[in-house]
Amino acid sequence: MWMMKTIAGEHHNAGRAELAMESNLVLRITAKMLMPFILLFGLYVQFHGDFGPGGGFQAGVIFATGIILYGLVFGLDNLRELVPSGLVRIVSASGLLLYIGVGVVSMLKGGSLLDYNLLSHDPVHGQHLGIFLVELGVGMTVAAVMTNMFILFARP
Amino acid sequence: MDDAIINLGLLTMLAITALAVIRVQDLFAVAMLMGIFSLICAGFFVTLDAVDVAFTEAAVGAGISTLLVLSTLAITKREQSSRPRFRPVALLTVVLTGLLLVYATWDIHPYGDMSSPVHQHIGKRYLQESSEHTGIPNVVTSVLASYRGYDTMGELTVIFTAGVGVILLLGRSRKAAVNVDDEDDSRGTS
Amino acid sequence: MSIVSFISGGLLLTGGIVLIIGSIGLVRFPDFFTRLHAASVVDTLGVMLMIAGLIPLAGFSLATLKLFLILVFVLLTSPTAGHALAKAALHGHLKPELDTQEKGQA
Repeated sequence: MWMMKTIAGEHHNAGRAELAMESNLVLRITAKMLMPFILLFGLYVQFHGDFGPGGGFQAGVIFATGIILYGLVFGLDNLRELVPSGLVRIVSASGLLLYIGVGVVSMLKGGSLLDYNLLSHDPVHGQHLGIFLVELGVGMTVAAVMTNMFILFARP
Repeated sequence: MDDAIINLGLLTMLAITALAVIRVQDLFAVAMLMGIFSLICAGFFVTLDAVDVAFTEAAVGAGISTLLVLSTLAITKREQSSRPRFRPVALLTVVLTGLLLVYATWDIHPYGDMSSPVHQHIGKRYLQESSEHTGIPNVVTSVLASYRGYDTMGELTVIFTAGVGVILLLGRSRKAAVNVDDEDDSRGTS
Repeated sequence: MSIVSFISGGLLLTGGIVLIIGSIGLVRFPDFFTRLHAASVVDTLGVMLMIAGLIPLAGFSLATLKLFLILVFVLLTSPTAGHALAKAALHGHLKPELDTQEKGQA
């Protein structure tokens, strides 16, 4: 509901929007306190996915949620300054490229597509490295695509 | 027995939420109800020991998709434009499909039955050998990223394509809308 | 063992009772703001009591730390959510129902 308010606040004239921003002190302080921890939790889910529940999809979504929280509380203009649309597009494409690139590298090393065994001298280590890189690519693309979707949908 | 009570409660809440989604006219409330539906689904997955799926459902279904639906509502209207009228053929189709699905559940093995084909085929090998093949304790991650790497690549391509589609559909119109707004402003001030 | 289960059982029971009282208030109270009061205050206290009751059961492990972090998270976010809802309602020109108004009319 506060998103509605933030977006609605930008529709109104400047004085009222300013007033709304100023009186959102509680929201702004809480968002500032929580945002680093949400991003940290996203990274934890990303890199702890090997050992517990988690992985690229969940981590990307949680990371995007942290960024979107910033946009909800501080307004879309600040969000666009924080994540320029060019950066979001580059990250979303490079995540998929990283995934496919891992597959192509394993092909160049003489195996089939996405055969992680050949990525390192030791097959188990190669599998570990391959899964790590692939999950990283998934996380990058998901986070960037979700953030971009929110920016485009919530335009003023 | 405890599991049965929890599952029954969760499924009842799911059914009530689904009916409420159909009945409620206010689309804002519908978006919130869909979030609640996803959260109950996540709880249901936890009782089935599918923690990874529950995590995804809670993060995607209850978290970000609710946000995206709400931001879509900010662009469009909040009320449903017209109440859908009663259609007997559609009702018949839905009821028949539902009965067919219920009939199909009679052939499903009980939950956790070792003699079911799911556990007899290759899944058993994954569970036993995944750790020494990949060195990763979480089998879900190793199946998702390694054994079923092609599928995950396809899923990621789908997400990327969706992102590209949103950019193509909304990215340009935003610039156009901003230009129109600027013109309006200049007219207003001059 | 019995003391630990006694403490956590007491906390869980208190949390459950508090949550039930809050749910009754959520249904019975007359307008949005009183309902929000019931929901947000009770939600914070009840959930915190529940998690505090789970901490002794987890023993001294990583799960304890995680539960404690969830406790802090709930303590921060739940009141903020209530505050945001109330502000959004005021912003949407929803006036609280006041008893004095009725007396003035009568």
